[in-house]
Amino acid sequence: MSAMSKESEIVDFVRAARADRSPFEIVAGSTRRAVGRPLGAIPKLDVSGLSGILKYEPEELILTAAPSTPLAEIVSVLAAKNQRLGFDPADWSQLLGSNGVTTLAGAVSCDASGSGRLRHGGARDSLLGFHGVNGLGASFRAGGKVVKNVTGFDLPKLVCGAYGTLCVLTELTFRVYPRPTHFAVLALPDVSPEIGFAHLRKIAQSALEPAGLAYLPGNIAPGTGQGSALIRLEGASQPLEEKIALAHGLLGSAVVRFDGEDPFPTIGNGEKFARVEGDVWRVMIAPSDAPRIAKELGAQYWLGDLAGGLLWVAAPSSEGARIRKIAAAANGQAMLLRASAEVRATHGLYAPQPPALAALNRSVKAAFDPLSLFNPGRL
Amino acid sequence: MLLPVTDSKIVARRADIVAALETIVPGGVVSDKSGLSTFDSDALSAYHQMPLVCVLPADRHQVSEVLKYASAEGIPIVPRGAGTSLSGGALPREDGILIGMGRMKRILEIDYENGCVVVEPGVTNLNITKAVEAQGFYYAPDPSSQIACTIGGNVAENSGGLHCLKYGLTTNNLLGVTIVLPGGEIVTMGGKCGAQGGLDLLGLVTGSEGLLGIVVEVVVKILRKAPVTRTLMASFDTVQAAGTCVAAIIADGVVPAAMEFMDGRAAAAIESYNQPGYPAGAEAILIIDADGVEADVSYAVSRIVEIVAQSGGKSVEATDEKQRARIWSGRKAAFAAMGRLAPDMICMDGTIPRHALPQVLQEMEKLSEQYGLGFCNVFHAGDGNLHPLIIFDVMKEGEFERAEAFGADILRLCVKVGGVLSGEHGVGIEKRDLMTEMFSEADLDQQHRIKCAFDSQGLFNPGKVFPTLSACVEQGHIHVHGAQLPHPHLPRF
Repeated sequence: MSAMSKESEIVDFVRAARADRSPFEIVAGSTRRAVGRPLGAIPKLDVSGLSGILKYEPEELILTAAPSTPLAEIVSVLAAKNQRLGFDPADWSQLLGSNGVTTLAGAVSCDASGSGRLRHGGARDSLLGFHGVNGLGASFRAGGKVVKNVTGFDLPKLVCGAYGTLCVLTELTFRVYPRPTHFAVLALPDVSPEIGFAHLRKIAQSALEPAGLAYLPGNIAPGTGQGSALIRLEGASQPLEEKIALAHGLLGSAVVRFDGEDPFPTIGNGEKFARVEGDVWRVMIAPSDAPRIAKELGAQYWLGDLAGGLLWVAAPSSEGARIRKIAAAANGQAMLLRASAEVRATHGLYAPQPPALAALNRSVKAAFDPLSLFNPGRL
Repeated sequence: MLLPVTDSKIVARRADIVAALETIVPGGVVSDKSGLSTFDSDALSAYHQMPLVCVLPADRHQVSEVLKYASAEGIPIVPRGAGTSLSGGALPREDGILIGMGRMKRILEIDYENGCVVVEPGVTNLNITKAVEAQGFYYAPDPSSQIACTIGGNVAENSGGLHCLKYGLTTNNLLGVTIVLPGGEIVTMGGKCGAQGGLDLLGLVTGSEGLLGIVVEVVVKILRKAPVTRTLMASFDTVQAAGTCVAAIIADGVVPAAMEFMDGRAAAAIESYNQPGYPAGAEAILIIDADGVEADVSYAVSRIVEIVAQSGGKSVEATDEKQRARIWSGRKAAFAAMGRLAPDMICMDGTIPRHALPQVLQEMEKLSEQYGLGFCNVFHAGDGNLHPLIIFDVMKEGEFERAEAFGADILRLCVKVGGVLSGEHGVGIEKRDLMTEMFSEADLDQQHRIKCAFDSQGLFNPGKVFPTLSACVEQGHIHVHGAQLPHPHLPRF
């Protein structure tokens, strides 16, 4: 099937699918198809033709793009004006071993954000508005194209992390931000998880506005002894130096400036696990639980991001149920990011929700897509 | 604005309803006329309506039981926090139960380790900050009404404030909420882990204006107070120059903590009201806060000073905390100051792309002449959120209607230039009939379908936000409850 490049074509496609009650998979860059419950052999709607930046107003801090615009294109167009996307999109291609083009809507739909989420939030925090086609085959708009808007229900929040189960996105408008001119990574080497995470939380609770706070055990970051706490700070040159001095004041003289390549993109993209065997989980918990949960999980390969609020864990498939149980006991969420189709079919992306919440999720899904045509069961 | 038609059958059952509620919430039911009159309006004070009865639950289980009862009996519900809504979100109904959340005002947990506070909905916005400020923390969203408004109301309205340019709205500062659904079920979305394991329903219910559920618990993020805050005041001979300056600051990459604009009329009224020291004769004034670590703030301030000068303005910096407070006291007194010029006033709230500011200001002048009513402009310049204040005298024949029409035209203008009807006050009853200016039938239909997913009987805050209320339709079937269409008493606006 050829790629569609117009909203009207998508409307026709959805209406036909609706008439036939024929569910389909929405694809564009094909880098994240192996996430969530497998869809099986169903027809595909290829929206990769809906690509390109439609409007970019740097002085308004607003960018509108077609959904399948490559992220790389957006990042470079923004960088030329010293700006960045409102969120820190993560590229899971290496982790998932997928060849393709990472797109804007892919990152939005999978709520894929990296270490910068700590400071900048997720796609939900900067997606201002969108156009889409719902399961009735109706094209609609939601949100707005200005930076502050509370008119009507906040539907842009819903499409972030919905894995394409609510509508076919046809246009996205984002708030963008000035890009800091400088950054620095500080490292506290040879610290235990307890001490490393405690230091990260100290920075998280400071006024330093850190843009990355990760803990890497020694086997993930060789040469750092027990492990290393990493801190990313941003700013113009002089303010950055002051922040570094303040961080030294908070953490002591053992903190060193990390001169190698910025480690945070590889952390945020999950690339540390690209060549590690086993299933890959993202366990989201209250940051202060990180050392305890890391120990309880007992995984050979793991790391902590978001000041401990996110643990990346590699584990054999037999561990799935136990990981879910540990996360649930900590009031957290364990998301299964990389696994075989069979394991993903068993565990799903997330654990089953409490009945009332699950029912509400189903009702909201049905409010967009009553016949469950879009990516059925993926979320 | 037309109020929904009352269902007289419900009103006729009032005594039974009061008795039933007293069983559910002993000692927490207000049913006498003088008690109820306290609740007959919110901060959109042009509209008054006595509720059928007001109930003040003390915990989530009472909320749940009240909602189960209301659902079984088909009685509309209007939730209320502190009643500070500027869009009429908490305006009662003659045939509806008003649920006041003010008794649920405990701070349940302060968790510095994870940078969050767990509160009941009736805690005021400012009291969250007060609870954590000794440790150097605060809760970022700061609506002008923060001394009175409650966090539950903030969640319902997705409240903003002076500092949301840098720190975001309520929705960007929440980790979780627990709400009670129309049928009485209690559902928690999110929490300290910041994840929901499904659709982002937390994002959906935030700002849903009491149409989807009642908030009974909130987990908010708290932030470390910036070590340094500096305040600049810049004055300009023309509104255009101030507009250019705002755009240049944003384009430069500086993110001020706040950037407030006042036109010459507002500045003059404020100056005569509480003498904050605004320069006489200025056509526009900007108040700009920069916060962060020392060097960050120094850098921002030096950039801002330079850009102000390049834009033809003059800037002065507050030299101490006292002067800083004085400069801000003027902006915060804008309402009261304008109140001296005329007995009544309405505060509008639209957002525009910043580049459209000169055009919008010019067209507002024309509208002012056309309607024969005065106005002034204060707005959150950094994010383009306009708050035109229209002054009138309700005792003069036709002035209120003219003021409303003037305000509606301003909002139409906002939409025409690519903006939106509400930046932070919400739609409520005030802007309900203007929703079709911004959204097509298909857009509104999608929102309405979500309303139905939560509230198929249409009992939650009916008459607010959506201009037309049709029955909940799903896959071609109409949900029929008790052999009746939902809310048959509501006219189709």
